[in-house]
Amino acid sequence: MLAPSVVILAIISIVPLFYMIYASLMNYTLNPDQPVFYQLHNWLSVLRDATYWHSWGRTVVFVVVGLAVELLLGTGLALAIYHIPKGRNLVATLWMLPLFVAPIVTGLLGRFLLNTTYGMYAWLLQCIGMNTDILGTTSTAMPAIILMDVWEWTPLITIIVLAGLQAMPEEPLEAADVDGASYWMKLRYVILPLVKRAIVVALLIRSMDILRYVDTILITTQGGPADSTKTVGYYLVQVAFQFQDFGRAAAIGLTMLVVTIFLGKSFIRIFARGEE
Amino acid sequence: MMEQTRAGRKRGALGTAVLYVIVVIALIWALLPIVWMVLSSLKTQAGMFSMPPKFLFKPTFDTYRQMFSASGGFGHYLWNSVVASVLSTAISLVLGTLGGFALARGHFKRGKDLSFWVISTRMAPIPAVMLPLYLMFSKLGLIGTMTGLVFAYTTFNLPFALWIMMTFFKDIPPALEEAGMVDGCSKFQAFWKITLPMAAPGLVATGILCLMFAWNDYSFASVFTSTATQTVPVAASLLVSQEGVQWGQAMATGTIIILPMLIAGIFVRKYLVRGLSMGAVK
Repeated sequence: MLAPSVVILAIISIVPLFYMIYASLMNYTLNPDQPVFYQLHNWLSVLRDATYWHSWGRTVVFVVVGLAVELLLGTGLALAIYHIPKGRNLVATLWMLPLFVAPIVTGLLGRFLLNTTYGMYAWLLQCIGMNTDILGTTSTAMPAIILMDVWEWTPLITIIVLAGLQAMPEEPLEAADVDGASYWMKLRYVILPLVKRAIVVALLIRSMDILRYVDTILITTQGGPADSTKTVGYYLVQVAFQFQDFGRAAAIGLTMLVVTIFLGKSFIRIFARGEE
Repeated sequence: MMEQTRAGRKRGALGTAVLYVIVVIALIWALLPIVWMVLSSLKTQAGMFSMPPKFLFKPTFDTYRQMFSASGGFGHYLWNSVVASVLSTAISLVLGTLGGFALARGHFKRGKDLSFWVISTRMAPIPAVMLPLYLMFSKLGLIGTMTGLVFAYTTFNLPFALWIMMTFFKDIPPALEEAGMVDGCSKFQAFWKITLPMAAPGLVATGILCLMFAWNDYSFASVFTSTATQTVPVAASLLVSQEGVQWGQAMATGTIIILPMLIAGIFVRKYLVRGLSMGAVK
């Protein structure tokens, strides 16, 4: 029963992988459509490319800042929802709605809301004296992109942590109550350790996904202004589909895969621990 | 119920009020953009751009009517989106269910490597997947075809379905199938008549999530489709990248993209955590 899926899976994953390794060793453009062996030229040019390293730098900022904000807000809100006496389900359902919004629509909405002449959020910012074109200014474009990610994906952290909170055993908390622990002590020494696995899972899933999508950047800033939102994923799209330098793009893509595989390995380790 | 008493213990009315204020602020932040998009799609072109924002107005469906008129051609994109997501979901569900069952029950020598391979296929960055597929598709003449797009969506939906169905099957005790086989079922009959019906809710949830991943895709469709096979998200992006941004239509298109998914998402809410955490949180 496994055979058909393994065959298809091989076609959709192993064949492209080997094709990408092949492409990374070729001088590969579609015009003329005859790749020539290029030795390690693509690899060397990628590793010497300052734009490439800068795009990784921005990716790290995007991932670290984005995930930190999502983790704090997501966990905080999970605790808040967990502790409200009534309407927990309704709140959780409404709060998770952004998860279903296509990333491209998130980007569209970001552009619409931040438009300097008729955007509602831009208008609100103008009311408090901020007149900058958020997506058109180097210092504010990346924070805006991060906030779009935060808007869409913080609910994922919340629902994963909330599920962890709801699965918590009673006894440790009761014991803490008997010992007269304050809420903060309970949070620090009982609740957070108990939901640690849920938090780690949420972080790993998010870090793989944050590297996975480029939709919002494609539709809003296209890496600009002045490269300020050019993450490595967007750079890859640009090298491949704008510059049509497929060999170099393949080398960039393979380096991204290495990072994903590392994250995937960690996920499997955590997953296996939960299975026991 | 237990949780309710535990949560409510030892906290005054003030604490509870603060919690509600936090929750309400969070909900406004989460929902305002969505509400604003839907409202904007129901406004006239002039009404859309008036600031300060208006929440009360006489709604008009003109934008939608125009999009779905013969010259608007929107129905065609909608059809493409439906075909691509339904086909890739169907393929992924059939193969993923069989494979997931085999993976859950079988004792493969390299089962761990196999499952790692499945998860890394699902998690690979989209640009890195798009690139080799694009090069291969151009050689095979699949660029701009529905076949190519369905194939591209299957690259992420099949590993997802396989993995999640595996976690659902692992929850069902194999003893039930064994009992069926003692009574004369074949191995496949035992799977088909006993295990699969028990996994039905999981199967529905997996299917809806597969539909959502394909339906919400923009990157793949932007590279792999032509005018004839364009999907709704691509149509949405063209509305704002051409000269003279068509915000009315863009907001209406956005509304059409998200509404079915919001409804479907609420429907599978119970399985959502599990689906979106790749089965690591139940």
